[in-house]
Amino acid sequence: MPRVLRARLQGISKAFVPGVPVLDGVSLDVAEGEVLALLGENGAGKSTLMNVLSGLVKPDAGVLELAGEPVDLAHWGPRAAQGHGVGMVHQQSALVPALTVAENLRFGDPAAGLWFRPRAERRVAAALSRRFELEVPVDRRVEELSPGQRQRAEILRALGRGARLLILDEPTAVLTPNEATALFGAVRRLRGAGCAVIFISHKLGEVEAVADRVTILRRGRVVASVAARELDAHELGRLMLGRDLPPLARRAAAPRVATPQPALAIRGLSTAGASEASRLRGLDLEVFGAEIVGLVGIDGNGQRELEEVLAGVRRPSAGEVVVAGRRVALHPRALRRAGLAHLSGDRESAGLVRGMTLAQNFILKGSWDDRRFFRHGRIDHAAAWRATRAAALRFGIVPPDPERDISSLSGGNAQKLAVARELDGDPLVLVAVNPTRGLDVGSARFVHEQLLARRAAGGAVLLISTELDEVIALADRLVALVRGELRATPPGADRAAIGAILLGGGGA
Amino acid sequence: MEALIEAALRLAAPLLLAALGELVIERAGLIDIGIEGTMLTGAFAGFVVAVASGSALAGVAAAACAGVAVGGLFAAFTVLGRVDQIVVGTAVNLLALGATGAGSRALYGGAPPSAPTLGPVAQGLLGELPWLGALLFSQTAFLHVGLLLTLAIGFGLARTLPGLRLRAVGESARAADAEGVSVPAVRILAVLIGSSLAGVGGAALSLAQSDSFTEGMTAGRGFIALAIVIFGRWSSLGVLLASLFFGFVSALQFRLQARGSGIPYPVFLMFPYLVTLAVLALATGRARAPADLGRPYAREGA
Amino acid sequence: MSEALLALLSGSVGSLAAWTATLRETAPLLVTGLAVALAFRGGVWNIGAEGQLLAGALCATVVATRLCVGAPALVLVPAVALAGALGGALFGGLAGVLRATRGVSEVISTILLNFVASCLVALAIHGPLQEVARAYPKSDPFPAAAMLPAFGRVHAGLLVALVLAFGLQGLVFRTPFGFRLRAVGLAPTAARFAGISPERIALSTLALSGALAGLAGAFEVAGVTGQLYEGLSAGTGYTAIAVALLARLQPLWVIPSALLFGALEAGAAAMQREAGVPAVVTQVVQGAVILLAVGLSIGKRRGPRLLGRALPEDA
Repeated sequence: MPRVLRARLQGISKAFVPGVPVLDGVSLDVAEGEVLALLGENGAGKSTLMNVLSGLVKPDAGVLELAGEPVDLAHWGPRAAQGHGVGMVHQQSALVPALTVAENLRFGDPAAGLWFRPRAERRVAAALSRRFELEVPVDRRVEELSPGQRQRAEILRALGRGARLLILDEPTAVLTPNEATALFGAVRRLRGAGCAVIFISHKLGEVEAVADRVTILRRGRVVASVAARELDAHELGRLMLGRDLPPLARRAAAPRVATPQPALAIRGLSTAGASEASRLRGLDLEVFGAEIVGLVGIDGNGQRELEEVLAGVRRPSAGEVVVAGRRVALHPRALRRAGLAHLSGDRESAGLVRGMTLAQNFILKGSWDDRRFFRHGRIDHAAAWRATRAAALRFGIVPPDPERDISSLSGGNAQKLAVARELDGDPLVLVAVNPTRGLDVGSARFVHEQLLARRAAGGAVLLISTELDEVIALADRLVALVRGELRATPPGADRAAIGAILLGGGGA
Repeated sequence: MEALIEAALRLAAPLLLAALGELVIERAGLIDIGIEGTMLTGAFAGFVVAVASGSALAGVAAAACAGVAVGGLFAAFTVLGRVDQIVVGTAVNLLALGATGAGSRALYGGAPPSAPTLGPVAQGLLGELPWLGALLFSQTAFLHVGLLLTLAIGFGLARTLPGLRLRAVGESARAADAEGVSVPAVRILAVLIGSSLAGVGGAALSLAQSDSFTEGMTAGRGFIALAIVIFGRWSSLGVLLASLFFGFVSALQFRLQARGSGIPYPVFLMFPYLVTLAVLALATGRARAPADLGRPYAREGA
Repeated sequence: MSEALLALLSGSVGSLAAWTATLRETAPLLVTGLAVALAFRGGVWNIGAEGQLLAGALCATVVATRLCVGAPALVLVPAVALAGALGGALFGGLAGVLRATRGVSEVISTILLNFVASCLVALAIHGPLQEVARAYPKSDPFPAAAMLPAFGRVHAGLLVALVLAFGLQGLVFRTPFGFRLRAVGLAPTAARFAGISPERIALSTLALSGALAGLAGAFEVAGVTGQLYEGLSAGTGYTAIAVALLARLQPLWVIPSALLFGALEAGAAAMQREAGVPAVVTQVVQGAVILLAVGLSIGKRRGPRLLGRALPEDA
């Protein structure tokens, strides 16, 4: 059957920060009545590419064609994209929570008149819902809906505007298995009706279930673009992770000191969560000295909640955290005193204080009890300067100037300072969350070496990351966090196999 | 009793207008504490034009325009410049206080004349009606306009597309932007409209409640309007009820003072503020404020 | 125009009398400016310096005219000052408690408390605090022992204010408390992860800020006016916001900033007397100064500070 192209991207490039391209000459196309799965790890560029297609981001270079006609990128935006029949359903809901579904469906509609008649709108929305077989309660406020319902509402909105190309960004990340099945049914119906669908995903199961073709992105470039049935799981895994990552320094055979107890033990941890999927449900986990435990999972499955508990800013509804055999109060200072260091996954807003200097950030967590810098009700600036300078030189921070505002540093250097700060004091346990997010290859490598060094020195490391690649390279043991629960992975499995398992092959 | 209610309505009118203006602004996501200065500027501009032209209506129109001008200044810094809204609001208040005070002295020396005022809405037979006469028809147009606007704004926010878009911008600027709604345009328009209402509210002071202009005559009514919006849970009906409440308390205060009750005058003066504080402290539904209130918006990565 | 400017200059710095007037106006602006600068640094919008000043003046008057009447100056002067600080701290602290426990925005609560404070002052001077003669609504004059020592007509409060400025500079930039305060003001989330409680900081900041403003109020009644009456403070608390912003929230720079605004106030009075230009024009200058101060920072805000992050939320 001949492919009639619905959308074609050619040579798209984009760099938010000069010199660090997010997309590098990406070309992609999708035909009418076809479902394309766009795969790639976090940081590969998938969302940015789709944002270009849907008008939220202007590319630095490249061509975009819709229904065979090139688009004027200088005047490209969300409205223009909608006008050309492109509808996007974002990973983070782009509906207004306080408005009802009917209101959300209508407010951005350029063809809408002056009036909004609630009853008539409800009828229209209900009819739309029936026509596309997507069940949504149309008169409830979006904030009252489940993630699945919100998603359906967003899809409905796009379809109601006449979208002929629907983009779904990680749609099943927050869905229950039943909802996911329902979604696939809807996608198949849309395909049958001639709609083109682009599906961003991590999960192999979804690719098998519904995709006709697959395009794989890695580090801003397309590495494969083939029909789905030509690939198998192993092949997909290998393509996603790639082989061009320079190998880490060989892991030194760490002396496994026989410790009677784990350095860190989490028992029965339960919390509320930002969403149903991210609620922690009775987690049990142990991390011993001289080992790195890697915890992988897709964002939104409870990592943030777990991080907040271990950092001491979220009180769990049940469970406890035990460090070196002693139960610890879940407050930042108590945890720090007990020997647990936390390397934040969000250095810009939760790890470092923009507007303060390197030195000030270095001593940030010690203002109550760090006698080296805070004594007799005063700050010993000289001592802080010396310590920061030493750390900067040791960790290769450029420039090694403790008086510089930290916001003038590159991401890599800022993260190095955060690492230096957390390792200062020789913690028993280091909880590192997404430690290489947004870092260039060199800085990422440095961070990895620090984690390994920690392990070699006998420290315990809990590495929570969405980057499968780095966890596989670093961890002695690998655990998966799925919908707030932990799943072990078989030891000794090779990279591609673990990748395939994590890609959802084991069922939701 | 009748006289009390009549006084309450009369005193509520300026508050209602200013509060409705602030409501529109806040529903779009901005906090304008400069509403006090906007009201004062409207009072002054309205007064000057009314005196010069001999027409109270011309004064009201001028007050509305003055409001727009002040609003434009506020919007330029807060929406386009994305500067702290509290700081800009404070600056607006100071500028208004100084400019109107200096202007008043410059134009009238220390003795501003009497301005033509807006009379009661209906005289003659209608005004003679018991109850209804005193309550409604002896009020100036300011109250009636305020009542109509309450309905119009409530209706507009819930049942028109522009109103819907305004609410979207105030609740989630990001989502509105993704739908192609121009967040800056909506916000600027909201500030201009809201400020013009506040200006008219000021005219209600100098052209109806009294017939003259005195320096700083708003005396914090703009701030009360801020409290009214919170007290009224960001709904136009709530704003109306809260304004009436404040009007009633003021009327009560004058009445008791005139009657010479044992309670000292300043206690009554304090009462509205204390009540507002109490309501703010006890109210649980904090989530009712527009979710993006007070946060400047910039599209990331474009 | 030039006549007005001449009057402004001569009235503020043109003679010894002018300088005296300037310094007298500077003192309360300096202390309240410090109060506002401290609060803003901690991320707390204290618009209530006006009311906190009045509350302080009220408490100071109670102590001076009713409580410790016969005491010697050595006891009375510090007592008056302390009372002022406590009164202001109470008002500031109230707003802080409302914010910390009920999430009430301090913007609105401090503004409302401004009105409450002025009503309390009115209540007091029409009632319990009214002068013995009951002729006018004002308090008894302060006993000489309660008045601040003065050099000519410049009271010691100015010296205390200078000391406070240096002290606050040290507090904010050299103590652990100041460090935590600044962290919360710059990045409340990061501060929380560092174990600092933004709520606690908001409370203590408002209380401290209020105490300073209250102290300014005590200085006004015990150093300048000698008694409490309505209209004691003509918007000092609001001017203090301009003072603090011009000083870029640095305690030491509040000194020249307050001096500038003090000169403006003193000169404006002369300008009105001699050139007929209404003194209230100073408000316009204050407003313009604020807009200028923040306007200059607009350029810096452009361009998101991404800390080297190459990607928005998800790629």
